[in-house]
Amino acid sequence: MNNRIRIMTEIAIIAALAVLLNAIKVYEAPFGGSVSLVMVPIFLLAFRRGIVPAIIAGALTGTIKIILGAYIVHPVQFLLDYPVAFALLGFAGIVKINKNLSLKQKSIYLTIGIIFASSLRLLSHFVSGVIWFGQYAPENMNVYLYSLLYNLYYLVPEMIISIIVSIFIINKIPNFFIREDN
Amino acid sequence: MNLSQYMVIGRYIPGNSYIHLLDARSKLIFVFLYIFLVFLTNSILGYLILLSFIIIGILISKIPISYYVKGIMPIFLIILFTIILHLTTNKAGDLVFQWKWIEIYSQGIEQAVFITLRLLILVIIASMLTLTTSPIDLTMGLERILNPLKRVNLPIHELALMMSISLRFIPTLVDEADKIMKAQKARGANFETGPIHKRVINMIAIIIPLFISAFKRADELAIAMESRGYRGGEGRTRLRVSVFTWRDLLLLLIFSVLLITILSIRGL
Repeated sequence: MNNRIRIMTEIAIIAALAVLLNAIKVYEAPFGGSVSLVMVPIFLLAFRRGIVPAIIAGALTGTIKIILGAYIVHPVQFLLDYPVAFALLGFAGIVKINKNLSLKQKSIYLTIGIIFASSLRLLSHFVSGVIWFGQYAPENMNVYLYSLLYNLYYLVPEMIISIIVSIFIINKIPNFFIREDN
Repeated sequence: MNLSQYMVIGRYIPGNSYIHLLDARSKLIFVFLYIFLVFLTNSILGYLILLSFIIIGILISKIPISYYVKGIMPIFLIILFTIILHLTTNKAGDLVFQWKWIEIYSQGIEQAVFITLRLLILVIIASMLTLTTSPIDLTMGLERILNPLKRVNLPIHELALMMSISLRFIPTLVDEADKIMKAQKARGANFETGPIHKRVINMIAIIIPLFISAFKRADELAIAMESRGYRGGEGRTRLRVSVFTWRDLLLLLIFSVLLITILSIRGL
């Protein structure tokens, strides 16, 4: 079996699943930030296939979100908020989860990977916020603090929920999400 | 709750207006250049010209204005917030309005109008692209625009193919999720009410079957592709090929006129 084609179809379907989960709001915060499980499929692909396929799946998810209708307020903002932010989630694959790990170890590794990748996504949204809101905000306003708080406000709950759900999934169907190459 | 009904994925509205019939490549390039034009403009007059151009576009597209309004809603609060910030903090220019402690100055108003126009134009032009072009056409357009990047070994064809597969499978997965949700509801699961941790735990009962079936689909698709001899983009042909027409030429002409107008206003 040609592994390249299989990885391609998995990337495509994982991106579709992420876009689908993105539309199911677990809860909606005021001021637009909403929490969904959009990150979970990308994380799980990262644990299954490694960093590169997950980065591609993330970039695809972001691009599909643009094609389906996104809001663009600045040329750099649209790159950082969509393809780049989601592509960075693929870095959850820096941790390798293999069969020999105990349940507790798996959960710890997974949490480290997800926190690392979510921080990268936060960084991308943060920079984007500073750039585009800096264009529109009055000069005496602290854009850095505003962008950081706004993004933390929905990303932290989203990350926590993603960790909980991912731990559940990886313990229920471990064979799906363990790297096959080691 | 019927998932496929309450979840609207994509906003494409089919039609046969001038804008619908343009080549996806022209539309993508036009929107890209238009966004730069917006950032080149530095006066309210310039923005009014760009806005009236967009209003003409809305009328030509024959898509009800309510769809565009829906596109603005997500950033409505941001626009409102920015307006209030500028009105209350910008103390330059003449005092225009005073009521108790609220003082509004002319420059504050100018800034607020400037920013509102800019945000509105940017959001509406992006909406217009996604409302009048189907996701598949956009993917094909992107593939053909980015085609030269193949020379530097970027797998543009593979990326575009994965995007088409994704777009194709979103509705399938929505139906699937809907079925699973109903099955779990019949077993007594509750997704709409109750404390948030309970709802998250209940979501897992949907997500695990969804994941298993997604990977099964990916596997079946890979086998189907291989048995039909898929071997990458080299020499592959398409059923439908879009070509540039007089419409695209006209769009280029319109853009040149806009560019000259904006540049001459800037020079004033």
